[in-house]
Amino acid sequence: MPVKLRKTPLAWKNLTHDWRRLAVALAGIAFAVLLMFTQVGFQNALFDSQVKVIDDLHGDIFLVSRAKYTLAAEKRFPLALVKQAASVPGVHGAYPFYSELTLSRLKNLSPNRRSKAFPIRSIGIQLDDPVIDTQSIRDQIDKLRVRGTALIDVHSRQANFDFPRDDDKALAASPAELADKSIKLVGTFDLGTDFAHDGNLVMSAESFADFFPQRVPFGDPLSVVDLGIVDVSDDADIDDVRDRLDAVIDDRVFVYTREQFRDKEVSFWDTSTPIGIVFFAGKVIGFIVGMVICYQVIYSDIADHMSEFATLKAMGYSRGYFIRLIVVEAVLLALIGFVPGSIVSYGLYHVLAGSTGLLMRMTIPAALTVLVLTLAMCVASGLLAVRKLLSADPASLF
Amino acid sequence: MTATSAFPATSGMFVDGAQLPKTVKVGGVNHYFGEGELRSQALFDNHLEVRRGEIVIMTGPSGSGKTTLLTLIGTLRTVQEGSLKVLGNELNGASRDQINKLRRDLGFIFQAHNLFGSLTAHQNVNMACELVEMERKESDRRIRMLLERLGLGERINYKPDQLSGGQKQRVAVARGLVHNPRIVLADEPTAALDEKSGREVVTLFQEMANDHGCTIIMVTHDSRILDVADRIVKMEGGKIKADSAVQETSVICEFLRQFPLFSSLTPTTLTEVADMMRVETAEAGDVVIRQNDPGELFYLIRTGAVDVVVDDGQKTRTVAELKEGQYFGEAALIRDEPRNATIIAKEHSVFYTLGKADFTRTLGRAASFREEIQQALFSRS
Repeated sequence: MPVKLRKTPLAWKNLTHDWRRLAVALAGIAFAVLLMFTQVGFQNALFDSQVKVIDDLHGDIFLVSRAKYTLAAEKRFPLALVKQAASVPGVHGAYPFYSELTLSRLKNLSPNRRSKAFPIRSIGIQLDDPVIDTQSIRDQIDKLRVRGTALIDVHSRQANFDFPRDDDKALAASPAELADKSIKLVGTFDLGTDFAHDGNLVMSAESFADFFPQRVPFGDPLSVVDLGIVDVSDDADIDDVRDRLDAVIDDRVFVYTREQFRDKEVSFWDTSTPIGIVFFAGKVIGFIVGMVICYQVIYSDIADHMSEFATLKAMGYSRGYFIRLIVVEAVLLALIGFVPGSIVSYGLYHVLAGSTGLLMRMTIPAALTVLVLTLAMCVASGLLAVRKLLSADPASLF
Repeated sequence: MTATSAFPATSGMFVDGAQLPKTVKVGGVNHYFGEGELRSQALFDNHLEVRRGEIVIMTGPSGSGKTTLLTLIGTLRTVQEGSLKVLGNELNGASRDQINKLRRDLGFIFQAHNLFGSLTAHQNVNMACELVEMERKESDRRIRMLLERLGLGERINYKPDQLSGGQKQRVAVARGLVHNPRIVLADEPTAALDEKSGREVVTLFQEMANDHGCTIIMVTHDSRILDVADRIVKMEGGKIKADSAVQETSVICEFLRQFPLFSSLTPTTLTEVADMMRVETAEAGDVVIRQNDPGELFYLIRTGAVDVVVDDGQKTRTVAELKEGQYFGEAALIRDEPRNATIIAKEHSVFYTLGKADFTRTLGRAASFREEIQQALFSRS
């Protein structure tokens, strides 16, 4: 073996000396990593499902009523503002987006699957407007040209909406009523449920107006919109257009880019509902479990080598050296524990995504969050354990 | 005027001490363990000076405080009372930084090897080199040299669990010596070693002491290595009972043997007598003893010269001059009378003194020794 010397990597050597102990340590830290990944994963999955509808919309800029604090809040603004937006330079087109929840109740009338009317989100679009990107909707857009038809979300809650989703013919044959009017479900599309919505229907604006005439008392039900979707010209800068729209348009609406809209919606669920706190608590628990495990690992490593460390102290090694030693050991533990932890989490995400339909994705920001938490957890417990090391008394060696 | 020191005659401190700097100076050190009611004193007013390049062996029963004193000298305990100077640094009240810096000039060899199981022999020893920022080539050379000297040339890259107990201890010895410490503090360094490697270790100690002026202080009960000691310090009940420079002790014994009443004593008894003697010094013109004063001490002149002056009532005359190796003051002690002459130092002189009680006890032993021999001779004929 060639003699390689710079600084003896004592932290690494001590850590890897006993592979059984290392394996146990890594399993413990990997478990903590998994716990935190599960929390982050579920949280992101739930937030992602809240904004899935935004992700599926086509536009670059969105007009939202100032009173609409979340997508599920039915605060609307006049269609005229959308028309006004269309005339702003740099705007390729501006289109209305209608949705209805309070009036929208779907009742299954099939003889053997009869149910009472359950709330479902109805989405109405002008069929020729490029509003929704979802491929399954674009493919079936012509089916919706017949009045009184709609597509139903395959993820709609099975217990409430027990329709045959795999078979379009059987689905079309199933009698159903939306807001007490007969509706024909001509196909399915793919959106997903969230906290506020158990299911979705998508239909033409004309059908939408037929189903919900009382949306606007004494007026055209399509004269108020839920969102304005703005398509920016290819040669225009989205931020510039947004600023221009914001300056021009009525104060009753916010003008958001896609990111702003998404962030605002996520932040509502994160901060204004208990969801954020629940997952925060979950992460804290994972963090504490990890800290306890990591503390145990480092502490027992120190305790087993007290006389060796005391000897180093007698030789003249300073407190700073020992603190650095333990911090390096903690960082190494965190880094090598993170790898198996994240691999197992990745597998678990797949399993959970398959079984729950939630969007469990291992994104780079989520992975970075967990890595930082893991590092913090290991270093913090290392610093707690280092007190034991600093108490090593070289006088006891004689 | 005479100045009495707290040092025993055999410490050799006053003979040629001035030429060599002291690496360790212990002055009036007390040490206590425990707090409040449980507080008990472990060291009582200890004085010790160790010179550069000296090999000191500390002995004494367990609990005698030798280990406590060793840890104090090694900066591993905080000095509570008294003065303790190591390499010129006062340890009483020293800051942590000062102590950490000083520790790099010390080498420790503990009874337990305390090697990191995760590091090879080479890496373990290298931990001492890294601390003093020794150049890599140099440290590698020294590590190989030491481990080869200690019979571990084949095992430089072995980890401790592949080494026997004695081999581990030798790695620990190499770690204690590799950075050329100015003081080595060792606790039973040869206990786990066989005769041959134990000898190699003390030979290394001697080389370091002679070639580099390294001071070696070790606690040992291994009689096989006592011959390397320049000084043997005996402790008992928290106090240094004997501090004998081996060289100086033999000089004193030689002098004592010249004294007819002691001539029949065995070397062991003579050494014990030597250990009981204390040091006194006098400058030219100082009166060492005065005629008609009660006699309390027996004097041996280590260096210098004195005049013996007798006052017979009418006039004072110098009756004799005494020099190195000669003695005075015995007559008053033997006959239990006042001094029959005045002794005045002619130049700077060093005396070794023996108290009256110790003196008469020794005479008694000499007598009984004579009787013993007579008995033996009698019974043989």
